[in-house]
Amino acid sequence: MELGPIFRALVKNRTRFVLIVLEVGLALAVVVNCVHQLSEIRATVTKPSGLADEENLLRVLVQPFDPELRDRDRAESLRQADVRRLQNLPGVVAVTRTSAVPLSGSGNSSGIRLPEKRDADPIPGPNFEVSEDWLRTFGVELVRGRDFLPEDYASESVAEAILTEALARRLFPEGDPLGRQFVVFGSEPVTVVGLVAHMTNAWPDSEVADLAFFYPGRPVYERYSFYLVRVTPGLAGEVRQAIDKALLAEHSGRTVEVQSMTEVRAETFRQSQFVARLLSAVIVLLVFVTALGIAGVTSFSVTQRTRQIGTRRALGATRGEILRYFLVENALVTALGLVVGIALAFGLNDGLARFASATRLPLGLVFGGTVFFAVLGQATTLVPALRATKVPPVVATRAV
Amino acid sequence: MVGYNLKLGWQSLRRTPVLSSLAIAAIALGIGVATTCVTIHYLLAGDPLPGKSDRLFYVRLDSWDPERPFDSDFPERPPNQLTYRDALAAVVESDIPARKAAMFRARLYLHPEGAQPFSADTRVTTRDFFALFAVPFRFGDAWSAEAEARGEAQVVLSAEINRKLFGEANSVGRTIKIDQQIFTVAGVLAPWRPALKFYDIHNGSERSPEEIYIPFALARPLGIVNAGNTSSWGQGWQTVDGKYDSEAVWLQGWVELESDSQKQAYQSFLDQYTDGQRAAGRFQRKNNNQLQPMRAWHQQEEAVPPSAKSLMVIALAFLGICAVNLIGLLLGKFLARAPEVGVRRALGASRAAVFVQHLVECELTAVGGGLAGILLSWGVLGVINRALEGDVHYRLDLPMIGTGFGLTLVAGLVAGLYPAWRICSVPPATHLKLQ
Repeated sequence: MELGPIFRALVKNRTRFVLIVLEVGLALAVVVNCVHQLSEIRATVTKPSGLADEENLLRVLVQPFDPELRDRDRAESLRQADVRRLQNLPGVVAVTRTSAVPLSGSGNSSGIRLPEKRDADPIPGPNFEVSEDWLRTFGVELVRGRDFLPEDYASESVAEAILTEALARRLFPEGDPLGRQFVVFGSEPVTVVGLVAHMTNAWPDSEVADLAFFYPGRPVYERYSFYLVRVTPGLAGEVRQAIDKALLAEHSGRTVEVQSMTEVRAETFRQSQFVARLLSAVIVLLVFVTALGIAGVTSFSVTQRTRQIGTRRALGATRGEILRYFLVENALVTALGLVVGIALAFGLNDGLARFASATRLPLGLVFGGTVFFAVLGQATTLVPALRATKVPPVVATRAV
Repeated sequence: MVGYNLKLGWQSLRRTPVLSSLAIAAIALGIGVATTCVTIHYLLAGDPLPGKSDRLFYVRLDSWDPERPFDSDFPERPPNQLTYRDALAAVVESDIPARKAAMFRARLYLHPEGAQPFSADTRVTTRDFFALFAVPFRFGDAWSAEAEARGEAQVVLSAEINRKLFGEANSVGRTIKIDQQIFTVAGVLAPWRPALKFYDIHNGSERSPEEIYIPFALARPLGIVNAGNTSSWGQGWQTVDGKYDSEAVWLQGWVELESDSQKQAYQSFLDQYTDGQRAAGRFQRKNNNQLQPMRAWHQQEEAVPPSAKSLMVIALAFLGICAVNLIGLLLGKFLARAPEVGVRRALGASRAAVFVQHLVECELTAVGGGLAGILLSWGVLGVINRALEGDVHYRLDLPMIGTGFGLTLVAGLVAGLYPAWRICSVPPATHLKLQ
């Protein structure tokens, strides 16, 4: 092996190689951190919400402006009429009223405590007041216990709740959560009657996105109401138009806005998607610039050493040996750059953690990045190195 | 001398068009990405009201649950918004601050004549809002103090909503039905789009300012409630009257205090107010009334999205990589010219002259790339604005163009120092011998 000569040549031409070391190091550090952020964003954006088939779940927002609808009884009978009308539309599978919409970015949350620990800090309790048929409409999976009973929905007080498994684990780390009680809304204890597998609450990018509980009732707000409508796949378009007409025919003193859950999701994540696109662009540009930089420096060093290569060829070195010389040289330099880069990557991650609340870099990602740049280094060296193998031995004999 | 060096630099750039274009492209990319991300960060995190923000204070009163603090992670912090009665009694009815605004965001219905009603983003506020936050007017002005006192139904329209309702016309004095009430237009704003909704960071800080502005005095008579965050530790806030009378916090209070003595006077007024409330059975926690300077408030509430910060750091690192690339390109280019420099040195050019000549050439390359980069960033910001559909409006302003240019000069200098030093230390004799 010609490691000795390669090493001595590197030391002699150290400037160029310091540049490659710097470039590879910086690129690895930045790319690894960008990919890390990107994957965190992707994880949030693509995390399943637990709602079945979001495309065919419509959110209907109704906002009354007619003063007649300020009357509580009038407004309530209208909401019940709305639900009946929606249920009768062709293509509608199920309809429910809800106090908040999952993934939408706005909803209700109340602190939860255990009856025996009323002085402890509350556990966050994002919640949904829902009416009949909510399970089928949301399309969440009831894994334990039972649904609410029909008479529960008309009751004024809150006596029963269904929890997501994540909230049940947080609230009752030990033992069976079914039948246990908790305190919320400062009222009488509420009993857990069922568990749903998973559902994202109204704040999908928060740390407590998996925590939610449902309680039966007739959600009432004076200025707006939400209906969720599950439709037969393929009919979402027609149903949307029909909803608007049906509700305004019931009472025209209000506005109606329909969005599919897919659209709700897209709106909530628009900023994240934008950051993700910017990061992807930076990653692509960076890899491109680094590859160009390595190719440029190697190409320059091949040009400078044309005579030397010719001499080696004249003295019997094969083309393969010339190729290997440049590849090994690049491997040595890149390896040094990668060591620097790994240190820089953790340093940058540390800075971002302190300055912009980033999370720890996973080791697998750093390893993957290292392998990627090692391959990139060899691949970009290949073109100028192949050019070097074509230097004819006769060059050695020519004068400059 | 500078002129001569510039001329030499220009000739050298033209002699190696491919290498020069590569060098310029490297810097253009770096500056383009860096200026874009620095601008986004600056618009979000910069001072929204330079020279004024240190006189603006966000009012926080600890009206919370006697049993436990508002935020259990930070028990020393009072609630982040105010109850209606405190906003009224402690902010609106105090004469101490030079200016004061009690306000909240709502959604109300506009009923244009002969068209479908639509809901409009509304700020319900006292009239000082416009002066406090230096809001620019195109026509008219805020409703008068007298109109506010009499509870007149007057409205200020944003530029966009004025265009939608009245074309570009001066609509001052015209009327518009909002909910069930006829309002008279008092003023129309000029286009106004801060990147961060700095006066209400808890209710959609990335959103545009509201479309219409109506007097706070009308809120309760018309039964208007907020469309935004409401926090409560008690019961009964779900109805309209309940919201006004309960301990729920849902309003923002801002004051402008012109001097320390004014600030102290207002602080003791607040403490006296809460003492009085305590005697009457409210405010059972110990006094914790805070006047938080605007920027400190933003910082505490982390109003700037962390992604904006990390994008900026990453973009600056990217510029660093482009600069290292530039070092490589310049080094190759300069060393290829060593024989020529050898001749110049032999003919009497000093090392300093050669050094300066090459540094000028580096800066010329960088400036070319920098201008292209700033142009690139202008285009990228345009694309971003379109992608975000008017949600945000990022644009390059003079300070940011200046920053981009400054980054260019620094990058050019950093990248040029070593190659220029290498070429000026070429010993004249070596290359003369070879020729």
